[in-house]
Amino acid sequence: MSEKPLNRFEQPIQVPGRRLLHHIPLKFVRRKVLGHGRRSSNHEIPLIPFIDFLLCIVLFLLASFSATGELPVDKNVKLPAAENVLDMVEAPMVAITGTQILVDGHPAGNTRAIEEANRLQRVDELFNILKNKRELWKQINPGKEFPGVAVLQVDRKVPALVVKSVFQTAAFAGYPNISFMVSRLGETK
Amino acid sequence: MAGIDVGGGHAKRPSNHEIPLIPFIDFLLCLVAFLLVTAVWSQMARINADARVPGPPREDVIEEQKKEKQLHVEMRGERKFQLVWKEGSTVVNTIDVERKKVPKGIAEDFTYPELATKIADEWKQNGSHRAATDKKFDQAVLHTDNSTPFADVIAVIDAIYFPQRDFSFAGKTEKVPSFNVTFAVN
Repeated sequence: MSEKPLNRFEQPIQVPGRRLLHHIPLKFVRRKVLGHGRRSSNHEIPLIPFIDFLLCIVLFLLASFSATGELPVDKNVKLPAAENVLDMVEAPMVAITGTQILVDGHPAGNTRAIEEANRLQRVDELFNILKNKRELWKQINPGKEFPGVAVLQVDRKVPALVVKSVFQTAAFAGYPNISFMVSRLGETK
Repeated sequence: MAGIDVGGGHAKRPSNHEIPLIPFIDFLLCLVAFLLVTAVWSQMARINADARVPGPPREDVIEEQKKEKQLHVEMRGERKFQLVWKEGSTVVNTIDVERKKVPKGIAEDFTYPELATKIADEWKQNGSHRAATDKKFDQAVLHTDNSTPFADVIAVIDAIYFPQRDFSFAGKTEKVPSFNVTFAVN
């Protein structure tokens, strides 16, 4: 059988292969196109180090996780700072903001009377509230020794007379172990 | 992707499993996001003071009233602090320390490092309760002016807490401040 002559529009079948950019007569382009370049253009994301990194973050965050939540600090109160401090404890919070005294956010008297008298004074409202809290604690925890801890949250500019009066009132109400809330300065030791 | 090759391969089920890493990463990212949102980056701490309120009298225990040395810190002077060691009402020793405020940290924070060092030296020389097994602490009494700002009071209490000692409790030994601080009434 004689071969049929090729139609002028028909092309002979060619082996498929890479065609893109092959016509560019530059050596480095051809090298890249043929895949002989130094770096491969397909990269795999290194998942294992990424997971290690995530696990480290999770462990760090879990270690520093606090279940008790944030301590409420009044925006108007600027706390003083100290270096030799202890970690916070859960106890009734007595805040002195301006002239107002608050126990766990509830009003418990004011400091005007102390400032006017210019001498140490017991704050009766605060005394009654703290005493009630102590009695409630004893009812809830019968047979246990009352820790007698209260935390004072005092603005840095409040005069010592007010602080001492509140301190003494808390002591009389059965809270002899008073802690002052402060912000932590950088450790020196 | 990571996989586990357990060998074999003749059973009906394929024994080579791929660990689904993408859902695992998603889970970890969710965990990180949750922990970051709920994290508390609190710088709050506390500084102790003792009201020295005596407990109820007990008939079975006869307490021996022993006069101990106490360190009285007088901060009413504008230029100096006065450290006074007293045994009852008897003055044992008086030391003057220059009132030098050293700014520290941000805002208006400050400390009295000279006072802290002097108090530490004094405790080394005169402190009565040093043993780790000693349950009692040396007492410091703070004398302040009525108008002294609270920040000043805290800076002085901070200086009093500078000297530290070992304290054994429930089989553990830890560093605690050497002094208990209380306020003078007048």
